[in-house]
Amino acid sequence: MSIKELNVVGKPVRLRDLETHVRGQTEYYEDTHYKRMLHLKMHRSAYGHANIKNIDTRDAAQSPGVVAVLTHEDLPGKKLWNPMGAFGVREDEPVLAFDKVRWKGEPIAAVVAETPEEAEAAAAKVKVEYEELPLVLDVEEALKDGAPILTTWGFNQYPYTDDHPETRVRFGDVEKAFAEADHIVEDSYQTKPIEHAPIETTGCIAKPDGNGRYTVHTNIQALFFALDNVAAILDVPAASLRFVGGTVGGGFGGKVDIQVEPIATLAAMRTNRPVKFKYTREEEMRISSTRAAWRLHVKDGVMNDGRVVARKIISYQDAGAYTRLSAYGTMKHCGHMPGPYSIPNVSVDAHVVFTNRPPSSAMRGFGVMAGSFALECQMDKCAKAIGMDPWQFRMINAYRDGDTKAHLKEADDTYMVETIQAAAKLAGHELPAGFQKMTSMDRNGG
Amino acid sequence: MSKKLFNLSINGRDEGVVAQPMASLLEVLRDGLEVNSVREGCSQGGCGACTVLVDGELRLSCLTPAGTVEGKAIQTLDGTADDARFQALQEAFIEHYAAQCGFCTSGMLAAAYKLLDANPSPSRDEIVEGLSGNICRCTGYLPIIEAIQAVAAMKIKAA
Amino acid sequence: MLNLLVPQSTDEAASLVASHAGDLRIMGGGTNLLRYVNKTGAKHVMAVSGLGLDGVQKPDHGWSLGAATTMTQIRREVSIEALQDAAAGVGGPAIQNMATVGGNLFAREPYGDVAVVLLALDATIVRGGDKQSLADFYAEWGSGDAPTGLITSIDFANPSGGVAYVKRGWREINSATVVCVAAHVTQAGGKVTDARIAIGGVSAHPVRCAPAEAALKGNALDTASIAAAAEDAQKAVSPSTDSVASDWYRKRMTGVFVRRALEQVT
Repeated sequence: MSIKELNVVGKPVRLRDLETHVRGQTEYYEDTHYKRMLHLKMHRSAYGHANIKNIDTRDAAQSPGVVAVLTHEDLPGKKLWNPMGAFGVREDEPVLAFDKVRWKGEPIAAVVAETPEEAEAAAAKVKVEYEELPLVLDVEEALKDGAPILTTWGFNQYPYTDDHPETRVRFGDVEKAFAEADHIVEDSYQTKPIEHAPIETTGCIAKPDGNGRYTVHTNIQALFFALDNVAAILDVPAASLRFVGGTVGGGFGGKVDIQVEPIATLAAMRTNRPVKFKYTREEEMRISSTRAAWRLHVKDGVMNDGRVVARKIISYQDAGAYTRLSAYGTMKHCGHMPGPYSIPNVSVDAHVVFTNRPPSSAMRGFGVMAGSFALECQMDKCAKAIGMDPWQFRMINAYRDGDTKAHLKEADDTYMVETIQAAAKLAGHELPAGFQKMTSMDRNGG
Repeated sequence: MSKKLFNLSINGRDEGVVAQPMASLLEVLRDGLEVNSVREGCSQGGCGACTVLVDGELRLSCLTPAGTVEGKAIQTLDGTADDARFQALQEAFIEHYAAQCGFCTSGMLAAAYKLLDANPSPSRDEIVEGLSGNICRCTGYLPIIEAIQAVAAMKIKAA
Repeated sequence: MLNLLVPQSTDEAASLVASHAGDLRIMGGGTNLLRYVNKTGAKHVMAVSGLGLDGVQKPDHGWSLGAATTMTQIRREVSIEALQDAAAGVGGPAIQNMATVGGNLFAREPYGDVAVVLLALDATIVRGGDKQSLADFYAEWGSGDAPTGLITSIDFANPSGGVAYVKRGWREINSATVVCVAAHVTQAGGKVTDARIAIGGVSAHPVRCAPAEAALKGNALDTASIAAAAEDAQKAVSPSTDSVASDWYRKRMTGVFVRRALEQVT
């Protein structure tokens, strides 16, 4: 097909949702107003790590306007779950805490009342007796002998395999290549958690249809994923739930954790009334998941002619207190290592580590962004070590179509070389003739 | 305090609302009158998503108790149908992709409208200042600024 | 939910304050108060917006700002750049339309920059017939919460010297304050005859910095005296850490921004 036949590619497209945005008519989950709707506020852990000795909800239950108070004792099915439990990921997170809390803010008791103010006042009256435990807040400290243990399996890591808990990539022989390399470039990188901070906070409204079915209006980014998980947690057939999305008022990967739907739906079941569970701005900033902080130790073997011949990466994803999507995130992370470059010898040890922090989760470029940051800084350092222009250095190492990647997939549609050439032109950066002729189709072309 | 009957003028219409005097205008508009175009982002005055006009001036409805606006003219996005300059802003937002999730858009349009009202030929810095009370997490602001510049260049007279 | 009181006259307002005392908070625009009022234990919020307390008067050689004068009004009507800049910095346009100068006196950290400038201008608080210097008002601050009377206006004389206001925030516009400094320096015969240096963000309320002022008085306003004043200011303050900035950073920035304020005073 020739370019001139394309009717959409390369042409401005009028986006339909903008028409409703500018008229204020876009529908978000909160725009459905049910009569006799109740409001749910959560009593949350005051400590980052503690055993729960007792939960006393009597004063809360008698507080004005309160219709129900739910704790783990009210859960009909699972006490522990994970959003990817159906895919075999370990179910380690309490729906509502029962014996232990592992992060400050962990949900303990849900108070359902006629108004948000009454629910909040009552939630403050829930009395929890804690036995404080020592905190662990650093990913490498968490893996040392003697560190306080968060998990029920004895160590603070997600166990990918029985032989070694970290997930690994092994390609070629990095130690042999390091021994033969002209230069070794080694450094460590640390990123921070990043809060998505959408303008619309996380929330849902669960409503009994009156016939054993429930409608849930939610801003979750994945409706069926959320429906399946709520059905599993509440032990009801998936067919009894109808999940209705509104437009998501900013997701960026932050509205995937299914944190409000299960308990709001349970509350609707118990009260037989619509129940709204909406995060305040404080909860959105403090309680909702962030992009994980990541620590990477990178060691490169570099030749004077510009080739990176070996790359060894040891990385630690700070999952916070529970797995959520972190096991998946680190798989994606490994798929990205060692970056968009063909390096003949690669070793990756990628750890998912638990700390007493709010559980982290997905954000745009899940698993990739922290890695990219570290690897691109590393590429610049390598180029500097051999006195080469960093643009040229990347083009020499860029993967080409047909190259085998470290995790044994064949590289295809790479276009890294062409992208760098276009960027160099826009930036006014001169590339020598040989580099201007390079192509991603063929390593020896140009 | 118990609820009271308030008479509020919303987009030129007299509406009777039963609410607590300290209930925010945001809550009264959304929950009482189902005016969904006014949105809650923070209830702290930080994001601007709840912006409305009160007696023609920008106000944050989340920090305005309903009992303080009886007798005042309240205007939301829904009350702008006949305004040529506002319609031009709406069209410009569409053409310049000045929204993605749309949650900030009502507040942005209110701020943009008042900016051009006070200053029909704003500099880029003045546009940025005019939007400084409205946070957008999606667009990076550039398309919003461009949309406003485009409308300013049209030199449309106020309605 | 809290009770809303909407008095119809300043007399009624003043007597409501007197009778409810610690159970009452006064609301100007509510832009600072309403964010935390539920946590104060107060039962009543009293709105003063309808009492005619907004308005900028210009008596002989000075200014009288009605307590409910908004930031927008200050920017439009008070031709003192330092005050206009401080008013512009409290928030976006909507907040500027709502926030009042009276409310700014009570604004909790990291806000209250207009009050910092007023302190440097030796402002006086007027409560009906009573007057009190802003400096004394802050000296009696206590917890700073419950009102002790109805402030009707804030008055000050035309500044006799140069006035500057500088702010360290995290954004160019509409930012919480890390620290801010307002300086009012009067000179004669090449020497500083009087200096007022007020700092915000380092304490529960705006504070004057006597050591920095003393470093200037009687000296030429030059690099050396400015550096001395900045160093003294940095030593004198004991800021706290919050989500906006750490104590050590605020302390460091105090020195930097006292210097910048004094460099800008002309």
